[in-house]
Amino acid sequence: MIEVLGVHKSFGSLEVLRGVSLNVAAGEVVVVLGPSGSGKSTLLRTINHLEKVNRGYITIDGELIGYRRRGGKLHELKEREILKQRKDIGFVFQNFNLFPHLTALENIAEVAELSDARHFLERVGLVDKASAYPRQLSGGQQQRVAIARALATRPKVVLFDEPTSALDPELVGEVLDVLRDLARSGTTMVVVTHEIGFAREVADRIVFMDDGVIVEEGPPEQVLDHPVHERTRAFLSKVL
Amino acid sequence: MTSSGTLTPVSTKDDDLSALPVVPARHPWRWVGVAFVLVLAAQFVHGLVTNPAWDWPTFARYFTAQSILTAVGTTIFLTVFGTVLGFALGIVVAVLRMSKSPFLSAVGWTYIWAFRSIPLIVQLLFWFNISYLYQRLSLGIPFGPEFVSFETISLISPMGAAVLGLALHQAAYAAEIVRSGVISVDRGQLEAAAALGIPRFRQFRRIVLPQAMRSILPNAANEVISLFKGTSVVSVMAIGELFYQVQVIYGRNARVVALLMVATVWYIILTTLLSIGQHYVERYFARGDRR
Ligand SMILES: Nc1ncnc2c1ncn2[C@@H]1O[C@H](COP(=O)(O)OP(=O)(O)OP(=O)(O)O)[C@@H](O)[C@H]1O
Ligand SMILES: [Mg+2]
Repeated sequence: MIEVLGVHKSFGSLEVLRGVSLNVAAGEVVVVLGPSGSGKSTLLRTINHLEKVNRGYITIDGELIGYRRRGGKLHELKEREILKQRKDIGFVFQNFNLFPHLTALENIAEVAELSDARHFLERVGLVDKASAYPRQLSGGQQQRVAIARALATRPKVVLFDEPTSALDPELVGEVLDVLRDLARSGTTMVVVTHEIGFAREVADRIVFMDDGVIVEEGPPEQVLDHPVHERTRAFLSKVL
Repeated sequence: MTSSGTLTPVSTKDDDLSALPVVPARHPWRWVGVAFVLVLAAQFVHGLVTNPAWDWPTFARYFTAQSILTAVGTTIFLTVFGTVLGFALGIVVAVLRMSKSPFLSAVGWTYIWAFRSIPLIVQLLFWFNISYLYQRLSLGIPFGPEFVSFETISLISPMGAAVLGLALHQAAYAAEIVRSGVISVDRGQLEAAAALGIPRFRQFRRIVLPQAMRSILPNAANEVISLFKGTSVVSVMAIGELFYQVQVIYGRNARVVALLMVATVWYIILTTLLSIGQHYVERYFARGDRR
């Protein structure tokens, strides 16, 4: 479903992604782990083309993201076409980024029919908060609305960038419950998180990144319990 | 804190603070201030009422005179058109100024630079006299054929020149106000909108502008009020707005103070109405802030 191939990305002279390749099958849940600054957010942001790559390419469901191949060349797409492609890629931000001047329902209705919007609010268990403004919601509720909004374009894949790390500990659970639900319903997901317990329980595969490359990947038992790489071990010994 | 090893008991059963009555803090100096201001205000009102130089009978005679009411109407007309056209053009200029295209951005920058540099009064006189400069205005290819052409005099009346001048001047300031509002909106908002695939124009209209309005509005209200009083500048073009009209009248009857008061009180009344309007509009755009 998602194919990332040989992606390089630099900010100025700093090379943040140094040849990342990753395949995610339909319905698969991939959790990305790695120390701060290893390029996890940047990887997610290149997948929906919020960041342009310097080398390599990304496809979603076989469709090249951000470019069109014509006559041996890659032509950059117009912004309008990129925006259309992004409807296939849901993105959930660490700090929610709800629109503060719109109610929970209006936030979702910005990209969906009203009846659909209500359905997605229901899915994250917040119909009773439909007419609340983001500032009137707890952090966990805000993130659940943001997830509902990301689902409202009916994307083929959903990317989560540390969806719980801006939350108070007692609010993390309700958001992870929603993620668990999505995973069970067969949503294709890439989740950057530091919640190792969640990763172990929900991930089909864990990818460990360090310093702009994927160091190792595999099923949770393998990566979490029997990591091959020294750097993975060092990271896990710190977070476990 | 416990390292000293001893813990002093903070409260005991027979020392229940919640049962004691609360005495609010007193502010004697505030009352001194209030008294001082009240005395000053009383003196001021006393002076207004008893000093015959204010000439209130003349004030009363002219305050609602037909000529004054018409002039108030003209002032309102100029303010409304100056504001509406100025802000409409200002939004366009702001968008140009923020464009990713260096050329368009330079066009926006140049507009703002030019119209902030030229004094309003110079600009007004320029438009007023443009028919001396160009007898005809035409649309066509430079050095080539003309498609349409107009007599400048018939196209730009004094009133037209005034509205044009005020609007062009206002647009430069409006553009900067709009831009300041837009750059105050959190980048994450645009990113979220982009990630949702919301089209560009809709992002601006539905997501950015309503949030930018929070910081645009107080500044915009300032601009409208200052334009409203600034319309008195067009009296140089002999347009019968409020300030011009009172000048004409006191030129005839020499009751300068009374007539200036007529204009002043009208300016105060209309500014008050604008301020009240501002309050409600701001409250509307602050709706996401209510708890
Ligand atoms: N827009 C940018 N301009 C310059 N440098 C950037 C930019 N975005 C990210 N970086 C740099 O790229 C590196 C990787 O950042 P990234 O946000 O991808 O890390 P991360 O793995 O998500 O870290 P964290 O766990 O702290 O979120 C960091 O060194 C960061 O400073
Ligand atoms: Mg990150």
